[in-house]
Amino acid sequence: MKQSVIKKADVVLIAALLAAVVVWLVWPRPDGCIAVIEQDGEELQRIDLSSLVEEKEIDLGGSYEVRLLAGPGYIEFLSSLCPDQVCVRTGRLTKAGEAAVCLPAKISVRLEGETVGYDAYTG
Amino acid sequence: MPQFIRPRIPKLVVFLGAILIVIIAVLVWLWSVYGYRVNQYSCTNYAMGAYVQQTVYGTNAEDAAADAAKAIGQLENLISWRIEGSDIQKLNAEAGTNWEEMDEQTLSILAKCLEVAERSNGAFDPTILPVSALWDFGGDNQQVPEESMLEEFMGYVNYQDLRIDEEEGSASLKYHYMGVDLGAVGKGAACQEAVEAYAEAGASGIVSVGGSVGICGEKPDGSLWNIAVRDPNSGEEKTAALGTLSLESGYISTSGSYEKYFTEDGVTYHHLLDPKTGYPAESGLVSVTVICDDGTLSDALSTACFVLGLEQGVELLESYGAGGVFIDQENHIFLSGIAQDAFELMSEEYTIEELP
Repeated sequence: MKQSVIKKADVVLIAALLAAVVVWLVWPRPDGCIAVIEQDGEELQRIDLSSLVEEKEIDLGGSYEVRLLAGPGYIEFLSSLCPDQVCVRTGRLTKAGEAAVCLPAKISVRLEGETVGYDAYTG
Repeated sequence: MPQFIRPRIPKLVVFLGAILIVIIAVLVWLWSVYGYRVNQYSCTNYAMGAYVQQTVYGTNAEDAAADAAKAIGQLENLISWRIEGSDIQKLNAEAGTNWEEMDEQTLSILAKCLEVAERSNGAFDPTILPVSALWDFGGDNQQVPEESMLEEFMGYVNYQDLRIDEEEGSASLKYHYMGVDLGAVGKGAACQEAVEAYAEAGASGIVSVGGSVGICGEKPDGSLWNIAVRDPNSGEEKTAALGTLSLESGYISTSGSYEKYFTEDGVTYHHLLDPKTGYPAESGLVSVTVICDDGTLSDALSTACFVLGLEQGVELLESYGAGGVFIDQENHIFLSGIAQDAFELMSEEYTIEELP
């Protein structure tokens, strides 16, 4: 009796495997943004925003008493004692590549992630 | 027994081979999509009172970024009026007294500023310091100056009294109390320093200093560089982009009334002062983005255009062969000197209009 090297079941198995890989590659992944909090270029904290399930306040202290608010997929400056308030007015960061900065406190928050849509911001 | 085992071995080989092919295919795909990131280096730091963000590509990307940061620091030490011993601090200290010898770099920036000042008929004026110091936007003492004070100090604002002697390598301010503030062009000049550092290191990259951007070379995947133009009225989420510029090269600068401002007695005052009045410019514009092949010029031109308003701003940009995106208070966007497909509008709040 001659036996085929590849059985029908094997073909099905390989096809299924291939299909699984293709689906895994094409499947839209959540943004999975990582918020990187830095002071004067030194990293203070790194938060995986996609892993948050509820809002969380981050007290960074310092002479400007900077406070951040992080939640599922976003982060923002909640308050700062700086005179210009540019950081608070920047609002919510949600997309990879976005950044908010408190210049007086030299604190910056930027979102790192796979879906960097822009190379830079102007304005 | 043996005849049952025999066919099972090649079957296993075929099976494992198939898995191997799948794995290789995945790796090739990942390499083709993300491979360039191996030589990508990103970093941030502070300079010129702004947030400096660099993304550099190349085998020596990290060194190129470090060189750029160093060059920006050195430039700041030359041109910041706040830094003791800088060319500009010394120039201001010697106002009305002596000519001050200074670095070639400072002189070249001053010369570019004077040129834009002349061609914009004073809408951009590097000698605005006596008046901008009164307002102190973003500082601890930001306030509306008393009218009598403003009037007095306006007398010390005049770019024609800033003189440069390129042969002697010196500059001077004609009268006491005058002062040069290169804050309006420092970020663009810093971008240019960074771009030159990348080019020297054989790297490509993009740098932003505050809202000014500089592009060096080609993106590794061959696509155009995408620069998001911030939406001036995006309410809570001011990080939203109103559109994107797709560019091959150049320097991009934006002057917007939403960047620095304060409210006093219910009136909002923004930081872009009209050198003719000493008060925030009211040209009907909210923001001007300029694209130009020189960082200092693009910064100076965006400031000048904001003060001049749409029509004269467009004329000025045309004379420099520069491009511009003007946004007025009615959410109209006007494109000047850039290809229609280089700007993509993303916000539905705005409409692109024909230039009047």
